[in-house]
Amino acid sequence: MPFPIFLLIENMGAVIMKSKLKVFRAMHDLTQEELADKIGVSRQTVIAIESDKYLPSLGLAFKIAKLFKVKVEDIFINEGGINDD
Amino acid sequence: MNRKKYKQLRVVVFLFILAIVCLAVISNSYLLATVGALTGMLFMTAMRLKTKIGIDEREKTIREKAAQLTYAIFAPTIGIGAFLLLFPSLSRLSVFSKGEFIYLESLGMVFVYLTLFLIALYAISYFFINRKYGGGNNEE
Repeated sequence: MPFPIFLLIENMGAVIMKSKLKVFRAMHDLTQEELADKIGVSRQTVIAIESDKYLPSLGLAFKIAKLFKVKVEDIFINEGGINDD
Repeated sequence: MNRKKYKQLRVVVFLFILAIVCLAVISNSYLLATVGALTGMLFMTAMRLKTKIGIDEREKTIREKAAQLTYAIFAPTIGIGAFLLLFPSLSRLSVFSKGEFIYLESLGMVFVYLTLFLIALYAISYFFINRKYGGGNNEE
């Protein structure tokens, strides 16, 4: 059972997003390492974004969208959460 | 230089500096240890600035949450600890009135000041960071 403070922190910015980064990366034939170098983050960050464990900042999301020449919402899909109302 | 090479270099420099500091401590040359540590820190800072490798944003988020959690646990712990150490001496319990646990009372006072310092530091940093990110009374 997780410690209650962890729950408190985790629920503060709860937005459920799904990332299609893996698909776009495969389409452009890039490795995680190459993509990480191109967008200036670590490989662990790419892995975390691909597995929907980490929500990237707006700046990083735009950077990724610009790299693949698509819109941000084509890569990151809002699946509910804070904007449900 | 990419992030991977930078990390490898960081490990090498860290091991080198560690070896120098260990040798300096063994030979009782604390000046050499200080100079070694400072040189290592300066070298790595210069390297980081030159290669323009910023802190990874995920790592930054992790640091923020870790700091938040540390504060959320540490501040109440030492606050309650201070209260528990000072309360018996204030209520004049027999063991405390004999002066056998006088150091516990002193420790309680240290904890009290530490708690106040921590809360003050949090409040000051909150004020300035809030101003930096547009908080305040600048309504239109």
